[in-house]
Amino acid sequence: MTELSDELLVAYVDGQLARKQTRAVEKVLDQDDFIAARVEALKQAHNRLEAAFEAILAGEEMDVSAVSVSVQVQESSLNEQSITKVALAGVGIAVALVLAAVGYGWPLSFPGLTPGAQGVTLPVQTAPVTSGWQEEAARAHALLSRASVEVGLKSQSNPDFVAFQLGRILGTDVKLPNLEPQGFRFVRAQVLRSGGEPLTQILFLGSSGAPLALYAKKGEGSGTLTPKHYGAIGTVGWAEEGVAYLLAGEAEDGLLMRIATKIKLEPASPLRSAPKAQTSVNGAMNTDR
Amino acid sequence: MLPRLMRFADVLVGERGEGTVLLSRALHCMLAEQYRYQVGTALDVWAFGEIYRNWLHELRGHANPVTQAKIADAGFEELFYQEVDGYLDTPVVGFLSGLPAQQRLTLLLVYGEGFDHEDAGRVLDVGTDIIAARLVRVSAALADRLSARPPAPAAAIVETLYPEGFRGSP
Repeated sequence: MTELSDELLVAYVDGQLARKQTRAVEKVLDQDDFIAARVEALKQAHNRLEAAFEAILAGEEMDVSAVSVSVQVQESSLNEQSITKVALAGVGIAVALVLAAVGYGWPLSFPGLTPGAQGVTLPVQTAPVTSGWQEEAARAHALLSRASVEVGLKSQSNPDFVAFQLGRILGTDVKLPNLEPQGFRFVRAQVLRSGGEPLTQILFLGSSGAPLALYAKKGEGSGTLTPKHYGAIGTVGWAEEGVAYLLAGEAEDGLLMRIATKIKLEPASPLRSAPKAQTSVNGAMNTDR
Repeated sequence: MLPRLMRFADVLVGERGEGTVLLSRALHCMLAEQYRYQVGTALDVWAFGEIYRNWLHELRGHANPVTQAKIADAGFEELFYQEVDGYLDTPVVGFLSGLPAQQRLTLLLVYGEGFDHEDAGRVLDVGTDIIAARLVRVSAALADRLSARPPAPAAAIVETLYPEGFRGSP
């Protein structure tokens, strides 16, 4: 009879052995019924443990789904069972908060939840980056709308006309800043889509490197400039006068913040009527004046 | 992730109510001390470790930690979901409830969560050799218990006790 320790056999059953060792054990199993019976017993123990832990998880999942349903339909009267469920729901919320705080680096403040704990605000947060070009391309594609292709922004060389068209598309005045003093020239603007609503993108180019983009979407939000990072892309977001802005680029944080501050301080000039498009005729007329 | 955290806490304390309370306390600690999370650490490994450390910290505050760590069989049985076929693997449940918490968690992390020995060691704050040793000891003990033959009836024992020549005639 061959002597094989339980240590080796458990490692074999758990798949922890190298291929060579596994083959050696299998050779012994073919020849030794006693060892084969032992391995079978260990396998059975392993399988039944896995099944037992699965049964516990199934119970927990049932509890969690029952809690989410019961919290949705919760009435004002609380019995003993619903109090337990509410306690579980509290745990669920806390888990979500932990995930948010740790997994996504969101700043959190919980008055009353953690006695004595102060809210933590991180200066720059890091959000997960998508992996693989296919996923990135798919996400970028989701931003394209029919308007991106059909609506051509005429006379991109006339900033006032571009701002007017963007304002009409968004339904409100939108800023088209002049970033020449900061070393970025306006290149073009286009219309994308987010959540079924138009999202404008205004692109600027510096003397080198990737473009800088100012995104604008109709919506409310905090007026505070909020920096954030998505991998190599830095952003600063804020909202004002019913428009949410996001400045994005691979520039350093300080520069992005300075540009965002400049844009925020710049008043939006309301355009009541369409300015004349830049054509060869009116361009010549302007030159003549 | 919530069901997994709940399972971990429940298996640790051996009962659902206390498990939920432990998890709640541990989550509050995690929120208050989120700065201790190191970027790059798997979130589940960190969260399991925090729950375990909370339990250990509270246990050390008791006059008799060993008595506190023991679990009741009835509460432990209730953790197992039986509604699918009503089947409860009583020998395995009984075996698990009789184990020390650290050994129970080692089994849960490796066989339930599928963690490698390194991550399981990180959660329980022990080396991979200890994890491997626990698995061998506990797996071998369970295999012994599951493969043991049921006790034979008394008559059969008498049969084996007396060789052919000494058996009395009726």
